[in-house]
Amino acid sequence: MAASTEPKEGPNAAFLIVKPMATAARQFVKSLVRPSTIVYPFERLEDPSFREEVKVESGHPIGVGPIWDNYRGVHALNIATCISCNLCAFSCPDLCIEMVTVPGGDPKHPKKCPQIDYGKCSYCGFCSDACPEGCLSMTTRYELSTPNRSEMIYSPQKLHEVFERKLPMNPIRLERPENEDAIRLDAPLCIGCNACSRDCPTSCITMVDTPKPTAKPGEKLPRRIWKEPVINDSDCVRCGTCISVCPKECLFWGTHP
Amino acid sequence: MTVQSLYGVAALVAGGIAYLLPFLPPWLVTIIADVVFGAILLAASMINTIVLIWYERKLLGRFMDRRGAMHVGYAGLLQNFADGLKLFRKNTYKPREADSLGFYGGPTAYMVSSLVIFGILPISTGWDNGSLPLSLLLALVIFSFAPLFIFLSAWSSNNKYSLMGGMRSAAQMIAYEVPILIAVVAVVVLSGSFDLTTIVSEQRNYWFALPLFLALIVFVAGMLAEMERIPFDLPEAEAELVEGWNTEYGGMLFAFFMLADYLRALIGSILIVLLFLGGWTLPSYVPAALTSFPLAGIFWFMVKTYLVFGVFVWVRASLPRVRTDQLLRVGWMRMVPLALVSVLIAAAVVAAHCLPVLGCVPGLGS
Repeated sequence: MAASTEPKEGPNAAFLIVKPMATAARQFVKSLVRPSTIVYPFERLEDPSFREEVKVESGHPIGVGPIWDNYRGVHALNIATCISCNLCAFSCPDLCIEMVTVPGGDPKHPKKCPQIDYGKCSYCGFCSDACPEGCLSMTTRYELSTPNRSEMIYSPQKLHEVFERKLPMNPIRLERPENEDAIRLDAPLCIGCNACSRDCPTSCITMVDTPKPTAKPGEKLPRRIWKEPVINDSDCVRCGTCISVCPKECLFWGTHP
Repeated sequence: MTVQSLYGVAALVAGGIAYLLPFLPPWLVTIIADVVFGAILLAASMINTIVLIWYERKLLGRFMDRRGAMHVGYAGLLQNFADGLKLFRKNTYKPREADSLGFYGGPTAYMVSSLVIFGILPISTGWDNGSLPLSLLLALVIFSFAPLFIFLSAWSSNNKYSLMGGMRSAAQMIAYEVPILIAVVAVVVLSGSFDLTTIVSEQRNYWFALPLFLALIVFVAGMLAEMERIPFDLPEAEAELVEGWNTEYGGMLFAFFMLADYLRALIGSILIVLLFLGGWTLPSYVPAALTSFPLAGIFWFMVKTYLVFGVFVWVRASLPRVRTDQLLRVGWMRMVPLALVSVLIAAAVVAAHCLPVLGCVPGLGS
């Protein structure tokens, strides 16, 4: 008969109809109260009222919690603590950070702070990782659309306004340790490699010649360049780049002699 | 312009016509009355259709945990009017090899044949003057014109997807005409009439959905197939055929197809309400206050129609599309026997004459 040629049916056909319809009806009743969709420009996840109203299944309100607080959005810049060290611009893989002069520095050493082109930025967060002062950090702000491209470039002042909004931020390093006052040199370890001088963002390290000692008989002089870094303390911004690039770990944080 | 002044203008126009009527020859009066009535019916059906699309979008949104249209007008009510306006302004393109007559005539005939049915369906009390003794049969006949026009436009489009969609549409509609008509026979046996007004008035004691539940199921499933809605939307299966038989259509011609689809959905809901759910009447034991306010008939009729269409949307939100072999197997091997069984049930009810809880069937032809 025809029954033998029919393809095998799995569960009962009535079950195949009734169960999905019951599921849909349950969903319908549930979303009559409130659909999960957020009417975005009118409702925002980060609105305080919305946070109280909608809870995710873990019990945390949406918008609070570890994932949200690590969000990498628009940067916040604290101009007051920025030391113009240029490390953010160095670390940027997209070359979207340019150091521009802001008022506040003396004429000899103009204060330079990062200006970020969000048309290029990939939100990798390297700059805020590199910032030695913790003054550049990433916030939860994500609304960037503008009618023209030049408004995608955020000046330091604009980034400072973002900072003043006190949005949730990625805390990198908010305070500077007490003992980071000056760069000290452990002279016997130095090999005169010039790495610190090369990488210093403010070019305050100069390599000066040191007299090459005469070798005593039987003694082998270390193989090195007979130069030593001298740090111009008034130009140094204490960014710590020289410490991190030194291959022999002969530079360290210390206090003024 | 305030509402009062609108009423004033309407009263002025109506008064003018009423003043002129005695001076006009009777045939002209009949023509004017027909034209006015037709215009009102056309406007009402089109507005209802567009509101039906809005209703489906809102319901479907809730079924899918979203909101549907919500920005144009109150709760997005005007969104589909705006969409229609957009489609109206668009250019229509015809494929170079397409046949002009079929390409343009198909959608038009599809639309017109769907609209004509509204002239047959009674909506409320007081439509008896225009009722026909075979109005149910006439409505179903015009309703089943559709595969012809769909196939015409699909063939004329000169597109393989259109042609396949048209073929499927024809096969599906013919397969489901049979159980629908047998299910209607059950209703006719119970009510003893092909006249929709009589069928509704025969349901004063109980709705035909109660004894003829099987026929209702068959009729709803068949109507889903006739309207080509999910889960029976094989003719325009987006995953297989680009857009089915209206692949080549754009602009207002597409809007014609879309509107006609929803017109047919509206007609299907109206037919279900008329045949099985008591039309504009409520059962006689319902308090009279519910049925005595002005326009109560149309009110209850629209409420029922939209609820039935809501069930269609519910089905659409729940079920996946069936395969062609499943569709035809269900049509011929499940629906036809069920419809025949429901005819037997109807005959048994007529023979028993009185049902234990529901009450008595009026005598045949009374």
